[in-house]
This record gives sequence, C-alpha cells and structure tokens, in this order.
Amino acid sequence: MWKSIIYKEWLKIRFFLIGFTILGMMGIAYLFLKVQHEFTFSGGGNFWYNILFMGMQFFGYFKFIPLSGGLLIAVVQYFPETIDQRIKLTFHLPLKENNVLLMMHSFGAGCLLLSYLLLMVVFISLSAIYFPSEMVYDSIVSVIPWFMAGFVAYFFVALIVMEPSWLYRIMYSLVGGFFVTIYVKSPVIAAYGPAIPGLSLLTILMSVALLFSAYRFRKGEM
Amino acid sequence: MSNVIECNDLTHYYGKKMVFENLNFQVRDGSILGLLGKNGAGKTTTINILNGFLHPRSGECLIYGENSQHLTPATKARIGFLIEGHIQYAFMNIHQVEKFYSGFYSNWKPAPFWDLMAKLKVTPTQKISTMSCGQRSQVALGLILAQNADLLILDDFSMGLDPGYRRLFIDYLREYAKSENKTIFTTSHIIQDMERLIDDVLIMDYNRVLAQCPINEFMTGFKRFDFELENDEVNLKNEKFVANLEMVKNKVELYSYETKEFVQQFLDNHGVAYKGFKQVKMELEDAFIGLTGKY
Repeated sequence: MWKSIIYKEWLKIRFFLIGFTILGMMGIAYLFLKVQHEFTFSGGGNFWYNILFMGMQFFGYFKFIPLSGGLLIAVVQYFPETIDQRIKLTFHLPLKENNVLLMMHSFGAGCLLLSYLLLMVVFISLSAIYFPSEMVYDSIVSVIPWFMAGFVAYFFVALIVMEPSWLYRIMYSLVGGFFVTIYVKSPVIAAYGPAIPGLSLLTILMSVALLFSAYRFRKGEM
Repeated sequence: MSNVIECNDLTHYYGKKMVFENLNFQVRDGSILGLLGKNGAGKTTTINILNGFLHPRSGECLIYGENSQHLTPATKARIGFLIEGHIQYAFMNIHQVEKFYSGFYSNWKPAPFWDLMAKLKVTPTQKISTMSCGQRSQVALGLILAQNADLLILDDFSMGLDPGYRRLFIDYLREYAKSENKTIFTTSHIIQDMERLIDDVLIMDYNRVLAQCPINEFMTGFKRFDFELENDEVNLKNEKFVANLEMVKNKVELYSYETKEFVQQFLDNHGVAYKGFKQVKMELEDAFIGLTGKY
C-alpha cells in the first residue's frame, strides 16, 4: 500500500521537484558566476576584504532557494488534495488516516531532502573551487539552517493548505512566518553553529503539525 | 436479514441550526436504499457522518458493527465511496488511477473497470481533469466496481450527468449490486433515477424522517386524491390521515396513506361537499413532492 501512496505523491510533485532542483542548481551556479566575476573584474583582494572584514556573505541569496523549494513542494503536493475535498478519497483508503498522512509527508520531506542534498553537493563542490576548506566549512554551517527553514516552510505550508478554516490558515501563516525568520535571521557567517542541534529538534517537532489540520477536517470543521 | 448500517439517535447541528435530531435508520444487507430529501435536509451531512468526515453532536452510526468515526482499515476496504460530483484524483489518467487503487484492495477486480473504460472515448494518457462529467462518472463507478466492495455509499451520483450517462450508471450499478449481493446507500437529487435503482426508500425532511420502507410498499401505500371542494374554506390540513395537502382555490391535492374509501367516507361523514373525486397514479417524484411539499 505504501508503494501506491508513493506513486500518487510522485505523480503530483515529480515535475516540480525536478524543475526546482535544476533551477536551484542554476541559482547556485549563478552565485559562483558572480564570485568569478568579482575575482576577475574587481580583484581578489577587494573581494576577500569584504568577506573577512565587512562580513559579506557571497551566498546570501542562497537562503531563498531551499525556502522556495519547501513552499513549492508543499503546495503542489497538498493543494490537489483540497480541490473538491479530494482528501476524503485519501482518508477513505484502507489505512489509518494518520498513517496515510505521515506516509505522504515523509515522502514529500524525503524528496525535498534528496533535492537539498543535491543542491548542497553542488554548493560545496563550487565553494571548494574558489575558497579554502575553513571557509567552505563555515559556509556549510551557514546554509544548514536555511535548508531547515525550507523544511519548516514545507511543514507549515502543508498545514495551512490542508486547514479547513481561513481563520486558522491566517493564524498558522503568522506562526509559520515567525518560525521561518528564526532560521534565516542572522547574516553573520556560521553564527548558527551552536544552534543547529536545537533548530533540528524544532524542525522535527514541526513535522507532525499537519496531523492537527487533518484531525480538524475529520471532525467536520469548516 | 442483518443490517449493514445502523444509525441510532443521530443528532447534528451546524452552530445553532439543527440538521436532524434523534435520526434512526438501518440499511439491510443486500439492499439498495435511497435517501431522498430536499436541499438542506441533511443528506450530505448523513453521508459525511457515515464516512467519518463529521462528528455528530450525539448518537452514532455503525457500519458492519463499527462506529463510523473509527472504522478499521479492514472495514474501510469493504466500503466503496463515491463523492458528490464523481470526484477522483484528476491529475491521474485512467491507467494511473487503476494502478494506484489496485495496490490497496486484495480482491481488486480490474475487469469491470476496463469494461466501462472501453465505452469511453478517452485516450490512455488523458488526464481525468480533462474528461467530461459523464466520463468522470464512469471512471469513478468503474473504480468502485473494481474495488469489489460489499457496501457502496454514493453521494448524489446523478449530479452533472446527462440522461444517457445516468441511465448507463444506474443500469450497470443495479445489475452489479443484485448479481453480486452488494449493499448500496445512495442519495440523488434526481428522483426518477432512484425509482429504477432502489429497493428501500428513506425520505428525510428538515430534522425528521418522513418515511422509511420498501419502495413498493411506499408507492402502493402512499396515495394522491384530487377533488374539488364546494366550499374552499374547509380546512383538512390538520386531519390525522392527511400526510400533505396542496390547494389552489377549491382544487385539492390530498396525500394520504389511507384508502380511497376511507377518505371519501371521511368527507361524507363530516359533511364536506366535493366533486370530481379521483385517485391519481404517481411516480416516485410525485410521491416525494406530495410527502415533502412543493416548497
């Protein structure tokens, strides 16, 4: 049965997941094209000065890539379930309702993780061409919370899309927006290093929030 | 004969608005029961409670002895569910949707699905979202038949269908249910369709059950009498034997479970002058309107 669930979820997200991953890679490549441009036309010294003494994050725009991925996958995976209340079909499958949702959610988050890993590989590989290992390490520590923010966006957007009441949707949007900003707030390189275990735990806790919206739907909330 | 569905003392409100109170009904094993009611009478609410998508304020519905709010996967596998408007996963094509559902049901029988699909002029890769309403109805019906469920719950199966598809749907469904001893609980806003399909009828009005019995019993027991009153100020509406009465000037349509002789004798005994008394043959739709009123 889990194969059928995976099959359905894959049909919904496949083109968007692949498209996002390719665009994400192109976005990362563009960041390093700019780095190359800086080195070539502005001189290495000036660029290093900005990084070392001015706290410049050459990969600052990268934070929006995982975030947009989480948002996109949640919408394309869960929005079709809400059209004409198709989630009723899913809940009618011969499985426990929460188990079905957790399977769907795990698959979506798993696909997102795979996509993020690919982006990370591209990011690390290109970083290693231009920067020393210490700098690459700090960059990785900096972008990990951004990937977590992508998962938080995925979990919250899923919760919002599946929620039957608009009032609750607005409330969840505000709470979700607050949580996402926690992960992307500091512009200082590697500032989140000590917070990564705590943020990881918070992200995992938020992964089951979807079950609440589903419970409210089954109760008949409008 | 045992009951597949038993709803006991079901009460539900939307806010302060009562939908029904202490509603009781049963669906016999192997029967086809049609739930009829005007818009807002609580048909979809009942279906939603039966499928566990709505918690009633009080009371319970049992399906195969289990509370409908907490059905086990094994019992859910025995229930085929058609959502109002023949909703299905519209992003799939017919091959994908068949492949998807077949993974859930151990006694999946693809033949009825493909038999129905052969009647449709759809391409193998055509998404359900691009199909007509009639074609989508056949996809939804085919999936329920392939599931080989013991109980079929159909919410307004005739919605959006043209007469040809409605007839195809009903004939296929009745033949299937009777040959395979399936139980069906269905609603439809097109009453003529029900007459061809159902064995038992359950008629709901706002917050109460007006009738629950075999359809033949209802159609022979419930009668319409037309006559003209000499004095149009006579009021028969509150008499016990009158189920409903429609009156335009002195022309009366009187609906009752009593016999022609009983009604005539009542009028004679009470000195009500009338003429042109006759019993009028009714179709199910006439009887439904007769019982529930025109508005």
